[in-house]
Amino acid sequence: MSTDQIQPPVGPDTTAARIPRKRMSLWSLYTRRFVRNRPAVAGIFIFILLVLFSVIAPFFAKYDHIELDFLNLSSPPSSEHWFGTTSAGNDTFAQVAIGLQRSLMIAVSVSVGTTILSAIVGTAAAYFGGLIERGILLVIHFLMVIPTFLILALISNDAGGDWRVISLILILTGWFFPARVIWTMALPLRESEYVNAARYMGVPGMKIVMRHLIPNIGSLLVINFALGVVTAVMAETGLSFLGFGVKIPDVSLGSLIGYGANTITSAPWLFYFPAGALTLLTVSMALVADGLRDALDPTSAAGGQA
Amino acid sequence: MFAGGLAKHDRDPGLLIREHSGRVNNSSTQRCVGRRKRRLLERKNTNLIKYLLRRFMGWLLMIVVATNVTYFLAWAFLDPRSNYIGRRPPLSRDEVTQLLEPRNLSDTVPLVQRWWGWFSDIIFHWDWGVSAVGESVNSQVAYRMWISAELVLGATIITAILGIALGVYTASRQYKLADRIGQATSVVTMNINIVVAALGIVLLAIGFNDLVGARVFFVTGSHSQDVTGFFPIVLDALQHLTLPTLALVLVGYAQYHLLQRTLLLDNINADYVRTARAKGLTKQQAIRKHALRTSLIPVATQVAFTIPTIFTGAILTERIFGWNGMGRYFLDTIGKNDVHGVVAIAAFGAVLTAVGAILSDIAIVALDPRVRVS
Repeated sequence: MSTDQIQPPVGPDTTAARIPRKRMSLWSLYTRRFVRNRPAVAGIFIFILLVLFSVIAPFFAKYDHIELDFLNLSSPPSSEHWFGTTSAGNDTFAQVAIGLQRSLMIAVSVSVGTTILSAIVGTAAAYFGGLIERGILLVIHFLMVIPTFLILALISNDAGGDWRVISLILILTGWFFPARVIWTMALPLRESEYVNAARYMGVPGMKIVMRHLIPNIGSLLVINFALGVVTAVMAETGLSFLGFGVKIPDVSLGSLIGYGANTITSAPWLFYFPAGALTLLTVSMALVADGLRDALDPTSAAGGQA
Repeated sequence: MFAGGLAKHDRDPGLLIREHSGRVNNSSTQRCVGRRKRRLLERKNTNLIKYLLRRFMGWLLMIVVATNVTYFLAWAFLDPRSNYIGRRPPLSRDEVTQLLEPRNLSDTVPLVQRWWGWFSDIIFHWDWGVSAVGESVNSQVAYRMWISAELVLGATIITAILGIALGVYTASRQYKLADRIGQATSVVTMNINIVVAALGIVLLAIGFNDLVGARVFFVTGSHSQDVTGFFPIVLDALQHLTLPTLALVLVGYAQYHLLQRTLLLDNINADYVRTARAKGLTKQQAIRKHALRTSLIPVATQVAFTIPTIFTGAILTERIFGWNGMGRYFLDTIGKNDVHGVVAIAAFGAVLTAVGAILSDIAIVALDPRVRVS
């Protein structure tokens, strides 16, 4: 933390020693810049609450998410079933908790996967240039044209609702857009001195990419990761809503909203709770991404001195 | 801003400013070079047509390749034969083959041969094939595509105009109350899932209809059956179209708003805008004629690449609002292992993207002096 002491005047006529100032560590700088963005703090608070809810709630829920309560079919929220029940007698509270857990697992693994893949492909394209660059860019532009959602639906429908396969497919169809951005950001790095130095030392190409280029766009990757979580949740919800994603008995927020949509006037609570959880999840994560950008991006116009 | 980089398309802003200052210098010598200028202009126009033509050919190639790749992908994951499983009386394997072979859907024929049959039919007869049970893809797509295009293009245009207008409005009032409220709203609406937005709008519309006591908004279907006359049909279409378009606009406008705001703020303090102010333009004029023009270019490129997103959104909204468009067809073809139908949808999506890209190219040509010169 910096001190607010006034420094003695500096000039040829004075020999006063400057008061030594404690250096601010990188992490405290990041934290300070992040905390300055109030919505981001609220976002991370909500996100942590959602994660805790998805992990802890199944332990103290009165019912399992597969268990059927035949005495309460389509009953509105009550003290017995906090979020009401479905027409088959499933407890919506347990379903929302498990669904949130599943959506989070898919989102985080997809976001990790796309970030890694897009970072390697994007920086490699920027570093190697020439034929490799043109080939990669061609693939990226091509993937922008084909409706990837259709490919996603085709393959994941075949996968039979296994969330790991769905995540894998989401990674394979989601990497190209961030890769395009990373390529643009990594282009100036190719010309930088330390990359040239490494090349003249005889460091092999892929090693330069991994050791010099990727760490230098690290802050962008962190932000991309947070935004990737939002994108993945959205894609997964769309797929599961249409019935191509996670399938019974497994549930995700998307499939829950899909069931709720059919009875939206007669049993609106089946829609309200998963939709609320989903909206909180995506909005909070977007706010966190915004705060991370303020904290990590040196060109961010967030203002302030730190 | 890092995420802005995605839309900026590696255009060098410095070059743009240099270009503008160059134009200011040139204007004083413009009077004496009238004839030369006209000749230059003619050459520019042919260059322009060549440029647009080249882009058009590029997109056409992309569409062809994308469609063909989807064809092979569809064959890898869909099996038309499974449509005949569980028929009563059960069909033997040979009987199914006999049914599928004239439809070019039998897996007993080598894939390359099937592909050529399908591809040559499209090229020479514009026939996109039939589904496993014999429905023609052409006739299905012909009426469905207008239903979806109505939704997608309408939503794209409204989204872009609304977002850009909001961006300009809030950028000229940076950090004032209107800007803060606008930004907070946009961050939230941008991250609402289209499914949630559409279903929320359905709930609100049902509530509104109950309140008024009449069906002002229809929550299912794209049009009513028994409406005649020009104005009743338009009114009926609007009653059906409003809610799905509203859902698509609600989740889509914010990205243009935030992008336009950031880009305009980058430009508002640039030298050429100050020059314009110094020449006596009001702040509004300077923003409209100089800063906005520069900052619109990346936004125009962005519009093209959001069309696939809006198409995906349209698939979901069509499902929610019970429209019988391409979205419904998408679900049907995948459910019924209709290889030819799936490929037609992929082609439709690619064409939509290409149309958006060419429109944004034309917009860029109109806005960006560098493209017109080179």
